[in-house]
Amino acid sequence: MLEYLTVGLLLQLVINGILFGAMYGLAAIGLSLIFGTMRIVFLAQGAVIVLMAYLCYWLFTLFHIDPYVSTPLLGIIALLLGAGLYQVLFRRAVRMEDKNISLLIAVGLMFLLENFMAVAWTPDPRSISTSYTSSSISIGTLDISFTRLLGFAMAMLATGAVTLFLKRTFVGKAVRAASEDIEAARLVGVNPHWVNTMAFAIGIGLSGIAGIAVSTTYPFDPYFGFVFSLKAMIALALGGLGSVSGALLGGIILGLLESLAAFFISGGWADAIGYAVFLLVLLFRPEGLFVRSIKKA
Amino acid sequence: MRNARSLGIALVIILALVFVPFVSDSEKSYLIFFLFLTFCHIVLTQGWNLAAGYTGQISLGNHAFFALGAYTTAMIWRADLFRTGHYYFDPVTMALSGVVPAVFALAIGIPLLGKLRGDYFALGTLGFGEIVKVAFIKGGNFTGGPIGIMLPSSVYTTLKPHYWTALFLAVLATAVVYFMSRSRVGLALVAIREDETAAASSGISVLKYKVLAFAIGAFLIGVCGSVYAYYLFQVSPDGFLILKWTLYPILMCVIGGSGTVIGPIVGALVMTGVFTAANIYLPSIHPIFSGIIIILVMLFMPNGIVRLRERGAQGQ
Repeated sequence: MLEYLTVGLLLQLVINGILFGAMYGLAAIGLSLIFGTMRIVFLAQGAVIVLMAYLCYWLFTLFHIDPYVSTPLLGIIALLLGAGLYQVLFRRAVRMEDKNISLLIAVGLMFLLENFMAVAWTPDPRSISTSYTSSSISIGTLDISFTRLLGFAMAMLATGAVTLFLKRTFVGKAVRAASEDIEAARLVGVNPHWVNTMAFAIGIGLSGIAGIAVSTTYPFDPYFGFVFSLKAMIALALGGLGSVSGALLGGIILGLLESLAAFFISGGWADAIGYAVFLLVLLFRPEGLFVRSIKKA
Repeated sequence: MRNARSLGIALVIILALVFVPFVSDSEKSYLIFFLFLTFCHIVLTQGWNLAAGYTGQISLGNHAFFALGAYTTAMIWRADLFRTGHYYFDPVTMALSGVVPAVFALAIGIPLLGKLRGDYFALGTLGFGEIVKVAFIKGGNFTGGPIGIMLPSSVYTTLKPHYWTALFLAVLATAVVYFMSRSRVGLALVAIREDETAAASSGISVLKYKVLAFAIGAFLIGVCGSVYAYYLFQVSPDGFLILKWTLYPILMCVIGGSGTVIGPIVGALVMTGVFTAANIYLPSIHPIFSGIIIILVMLFMPNGIVRLRERGAQGQ
């Protein structure tokens, strides 16, 4: 295999890895917000992403709305869905000591969504093809898919927007305060339910954007989401909890790793390598790769 | 007095269950299969209960132990390891099928449990499960790849041996949980769950007990995987290395009441019933229905069925 390796090909692998990794990153930011504020391992994140991809597919095939035109609409739907999910499913569970409960609710939701999608839209893989989905931008020998690039740009914009929101607005600061120390945040008057609702809404809102990016770039089926959730979790562990840019960076590293491993070792093993790195990071740097050692007692 | 009576009732129920295959036709009646499946679920649920319910270490990788047990049986049989040619319900093969996952549990339990707590341990075991899955799919001739290993199904005559073995395992698993919960070990486990730092400062070797609970659970689950391999005769990633074998037991344990001896049995019985009924009456939407049940149970009785009575008693 190595005899085919050129600098151009290597660059191509790196770029593909980064572009795809940004999708993991987007999902990881959502997970990070939800885990950070509520300690919920929201395994259904991937299923929600696929649901959004289906909605996007639906708007496109039935009403001929371009995926990128439907972005704001889907973003708002996802925000509302997130707030709704929190209020209906997690409001009570969050207060309980036993974290099994919220984990299992997320698992139940995943089951429900996956199989609902399989019944509603059949388990066959779908993909959106517009006039531009197969076009790409060529720089020298490099081919960069237009939709992947746009997906990457959307991921960057969304990350930037969330970072600004968390740093500059009052609600954002409350979310950050709550994820650092919920008791202290409550003492200074932060309403935990409001913060949790916001975190959930934004986390799921991001999955709306990830859904659009996925639907225009890759074929998807109802069960695609679970693996995506796992990958997002790996990205989260790589980047360290509670850091938005860390989660994105973690996603990009995972994408790179997989892209390179798929070429140098073999496609099927790429997943195992992702998980192995995940285990190693959990064992040796559980605070994430980019956090300058803050050891908590 | 109360204990002696409970034990008596348990013995009567077990004896009654032993005689069911003589009354009910094991090849025509659905009852035998249903009970067999319930017993398997009880074993898996108790296995998870030991580490999670008592010690508070939530594992999401138990399907890997189930598969490791099944694959151990299949590989020993295929390789004719003992040169006896007789591996169908061979006790040594089945015991080894428990030992292999237990060794794996020790190997990953010591580093993971030593370093990770709570959610991180859950994520770590999830990662372990996925690594095992990929390894078996990509294992070539050694593991049979995505198709897995076919066993000679010609030895199958009736479901009765499966039924009795699974019943025995379910009783064994419950007995292990019962005796551990009433011994020093059990007290240590509960102490760890309630407050790890306090347990450590009282002189409990936290890691030792956590790993012990995890490995015993893995042993029970592995033997159950072996029995299930004798039932399916095809040991494949699609049949064994699926998250269902971790999630269903967790669901059953939590629904019944985790950290109790009876809870997993109640949960396994109720949920096997629900799944079976849903499978028969709502075949196409059965998993959706299961998802809804999980959510509803978690929302409205998060402490499990067996604790409903406790809560009622407290209320008075």
